[in-house]
Amino acid sequence: MFLALREIRHAKLRYSLIGLIMVLISLLVLFVTGLANGLASDNASAIQNMNADYLVLQKDSDNQISKSELDEKQLLQAKEVAGDDNTEDLGVRMSTVEKIDTDKKVDVTFFAVDPNGFLSPSLIEGKSISKTGKDEVIADAALKQEGLKIGSEIKDQASGKTFMIKGFTEGVSFSHTPVVYVNFNAWKDLQKSIGQEQSSVTAIALKGTDKTIKAVEKEMKGVNVLTTKEALQGIPGYSQEQSSLMMMIVFLFLISAIVLAVFFYVITLQKINQFGVLKAIGAKTSYLSANIVSQVAVLTIVSLIISISITYGLSQIMPDSMPFVLTPEVIAICSLLFIIVSLGGAALSLYRVAKVDAIDAIGRAV
Amino acid sequence: MGYKLELENISKVYGDGDSSIKVLDSVSLKVATGELVAIVGPSGSGKSTFLSIAGALLSPTEGRIIIADKEINKLSEKKLNKVRMENIGFIFQSANLIPYLTVKEQLLLISKLAGRQTREDEEKAAVLLKRLGLAHRADQYPEHLSGGEKQRVAIARAWMNNPEIILADEPTASLDSERGRMVVKMIAEEVKLSQKAAIMVTHDKRMLDLCDRVISIEDGQLTELAKEA
Repeated sequence: MFLALREIRHAKLRYSLIGLIMVLISLLVLFVTGLANGLASDNASAIQNMNADYLVLQKDSDNQISKSELDEKQLLQAKEVAGDDNTEDLGVRMSTVEKIDTDKKVDVTFFAVDPNGFLSPSLIEGKSISKTGKDEVIADAALKQEGLKIGSEIKDQASGKTFMIKGFTEGVSFSHTPVVYVNFNAWKDLQKSIGQEQSSVTAIALKGTDKTIKAVEKEMKGVNVLTTKEALQGIPGYSQEQSSLMMMIVFLFLISAIVLAVFFYVITLQKINQFGVLKAIGAKTSYLSANIVSQVAVLTIVSLIISISITYGLSQIMPDSMPFVLTPEVIAICSLLFIIVSLGGAALSLYRVAKVDAIDAIGRAV
Repeated sequence: MGYKLELENISKVYGDGDSSIKVLDSVSLKVATGELVAIVGPSGSGKSTFLSIAGALLSPTEGRIIIADKEINKLSEKKLNKVRMENIGFIFQSANLIPYLTVKEQLLLISKLAGRQTREDEEKAAVLLKRLGLAHRADQYPEHLSGGEKQRVAIARAWMNNPEIILADEPTASLDSERGRMVVKMIAEEVKLSQKAAIMVTHDKRMLDLCDRVISIEDGQLTELAKEA
């Protein structure tokens, strides 16, 4: 540290420039990560935050929730194998609704759940829906931005049915649309209106251990059992969005590793003779290596602190409609990765330093 | 103990088989306490090789090296590093100071490398700098020093670990003759004052009268030259 800090102090411009590059790269990494998380949650928070471990989908659905359809026989079978308390039916239908008395249309996704079951959403406002009423819904709070309130009525375009909003929940969306919860009586009407079998549903949500899941897989024919995480991949657009953002993040990490590797390698090459002198007067390779490593570490950590503060500041002034979610855990993981990548970039320099021979200092003019 | 450094029948051969070159051919040298020995010779005569071997930077092909009554030619790389740190002070052609350390820090780095940093070291650095007339430069960076001042810092640095012997590789090469003489004089005085020894490789004949002995190296052989009056 003795040499490391003094060198940074002496060559302020050089080190602040490389620090600036690192701040910008790590800022971009954090920002894109936040955006990827935000988009994921904006896209599929209804499945991400679902209070269930597994989803049973139809085998021919390509693991896509919107294509799945399960009949009554399968429902009963699942209940039998996994137990009544561990199973919940789930209906999913993407649709467009119209705010009554206006021409304004909003894309939503209907989720049919048992209002007393474990899939029932937690309310932030209003009352829950009853098990029997046919025209009551709980809506995602995002619909408030469309001017909807408790008591507002919405009309489903496909079926022509009208629903009244009884309560609001938050953080539930599916394929970038807000989710509207209905009960199974309403679901049957929706199914009927588009000519589908009334008793069929989209999926079955399961709670339980590996053991019950294995039993379900073994007993039931024509279904796939997926974890909720796996089911996310089957939401339209989800995996495409996430994989392109992921690619950007991986490349940013690679770029920062290479930029740092080049910077420290060039600086090390410039100082080869100086390292020779240091070795001649008694410095060990380990001492010099520790110096380079601590320089990289100091630079990386300071840059990270700056970019985390900037990211935090940016997230405060960003409009609410911008999907951006960055939890402390994600920041910690990103930072740790960044430090590891930076130190990896310095490895090339360490190799050069190890090869420097003290004898180079003798018989040289410079 | 009469001798600080003894070299016995040192040979150094580079390469092997037909293409081998014998740079040093069974040479011997003893340097007594308080002596400043000059080594002169044409370029390519093996001056640097000789100095590197004396300084434990290079192992001889054959022969024994005894520094401060300790035979070092059989020691491992790690132990040699320790010997260098504790017993040998180097002064290089150009001062070779670390550009981002102040004059005082250049000296303290030596005790840092030895794994200690005490008030004594700070005092010692202060005393050395004062003795070499650099006290007012203690907090300056090398870029603000003149060539002579830099070389004086290098001398102070070489004395910092209280070595038994100082090895100087053309310390006056980058200085004019007046400053060069001053630097060599300082080395000679320090050697006498602290009862140590020094070997200086040089091709600057004007400095030789300041040295106790002058040894010429040519074709791998050492010859003691009679001192000119």
